[in-house]
Amino acid sequence: MQFIRKISLSSPLLLALLLITTMWVGVASAAPAKTNALAMADGVNTNRLSNPNTVQLQRLVRTGRLAPSVHVLASLPPTTIVQFPLVPSGIKKAFPQATGLVTIVRGNRDNAFSDTITVDVQHMPPNITFTIFFIEFASKPFGNVEYVADLTTRGDGSGETIFQNIAFVAFAMDARNPGTSQDGQEGTTSGINLEHLGMWFSQLQDAQKVLNDDTLKGTIFDGGNPPLHAGPQAMTDGQTAPVF
Amino acid sequence: MYIRRFFNPRIGLGVMLLTLLLSACSGPFSSGSPTPTSTTTTSGGGSGFPTTALTLRTPPFGTAGQVAPTVKVLASADPTLIVQFPLFPASIKTLFPDATGLVTVIQGNPETNDFDTVIVDVQKMPPNVKFTVFFTELSAKPFGHGEYVGDVITRGDGSAESIFHLITFVAFAADARNSNVTSADQSGDASGIQLEHVGMWFDGVTFARTVLKNPNIPGTPFDGGGGALHAGPQAMTDGQTLPVI
Repeated sequence: MQFIRKISLSSPLLLALLLITTMWVGVASAAPAKTNALAMADGVNTNRLSNPNTVQLQRLVRTGRLAPSVHVLASLPPTTIVQFPLVPSGIKKAFPQATGLVTIVRGNRDNAFSDTITVDVQHMPPNITFTIFFIEFASKPFGNVEYVADLTTRGDGSGETIFQNIAFVAFAMDARNPGTSQDGQEGTTSGINLEHLGMWFSQLQDAQKVLNDDTLKGTIFDGGNPPLHAGPQAMTDGQTAPVF
Repeated sequence: MYIRRFFNPRIGLGVMLLTLLLSACSGPFSSGSPTPTSTTTTSGGGSGFPTTALTLRTPPFGTAGQVAPTVKVLASADPTLIVQFPLFPASIKTLFPDATGLVTVIQGNPETNDFDTVIVDVQKMPPNVKFTVFFTELSAKPFGHGEYVGDVITRGDGSAESIFHLITFVAFAADARNSNVTSADQSGDASGIQLEHVGMWFDGVTFARTVLKNPNIPGTPFDGGGGALHAGPQAMTDGQTLPVI
């Protein structure tokens, strides 16, 4: 009887002990899984240079076929990510500290619908709308151009815009006479490759006011009416070799 | 003895086990599932919130007679501008006569937007084929100036959708060395040559030859990347003489 009583009294304790043991065993078995996941991630990271897109672009930078200012990020395959700075051109005297960073991401060359372009700027003229163009040459005469987006700076001169279109293989052409050009990454391609990026004042009046120069002339670097209502180039990648 | 009087071993063991149980439940290793974050919900229905839909209006788009009749300007809430127009089969017409396409272009606020949003939806196209999308000067041959904006890859049933974010309503082609070239835009005269049409092309002429069962189809420039004239013929067109964008 006493034996039975002992058992009945201690059974809740045994049950609790069993429950705790089960939980700690569960925790112990889960912990190595977490470690394994990290180990797998490390394994991927150590193999990141096996991304053929990255290797090819890094080779192009080394051989001068992509500009030395271009960073080809060590991204996982099949992604391609490049970054390059923008430097002040038309605003250099008034805003010497202005900086820009362009990040271009391509998910998968075979399956991507478009590339994603992020443009970040700081210390620019505040509260001004700038246009962004893909261009044939980084500086005058700029050559063939493609209007891709706007960026309006905040009150502190910073700004960001993100847009999605074709960047890595952007080109200009007249289908009546497309011609060909040489692309460092692609070889011979149709049309004229647009491998540089620049920013322009969307309004000439803004530029004249910000730069305190009434002699500035209008440019083509904005869409819509009237012709030549845009201002001068504000930021450029400043490179001779392509940046993308 | 004093201790034993005030410390029943059974109760002590029970307390210890309970403590262990609680620590096991709240310890760091027990968070196999994500720790729920606190969520704050605010109830709507305050007296300051609207109880009726926004008033819609049909914004102006171009001037009368200067926009293609296939373009529908949607009645939408201020300040948005939303236009839609269909695409029709071009080179694929014989083999895919039921192919359809719809382009939707959205401008959030024409005064302040950084770019437009373009949505291309197609159905009953050749399945599992990649097409390029171009803004062009002319909707049919010789097409004139073109801007490569994105790709569309059809699914097994011939349907697909792609979304792009870029300048659309005022897209133009220009060579900055000839800055005196102008053309008429929806807004009046503008710099460069306006790109006011949308078309889709086979991204590879080889695919086009297979799909269209014609080994003599010549290559075209309507794709970027290596190999000049490696693209195929136009597959879909807006088919209009007047601008659609």
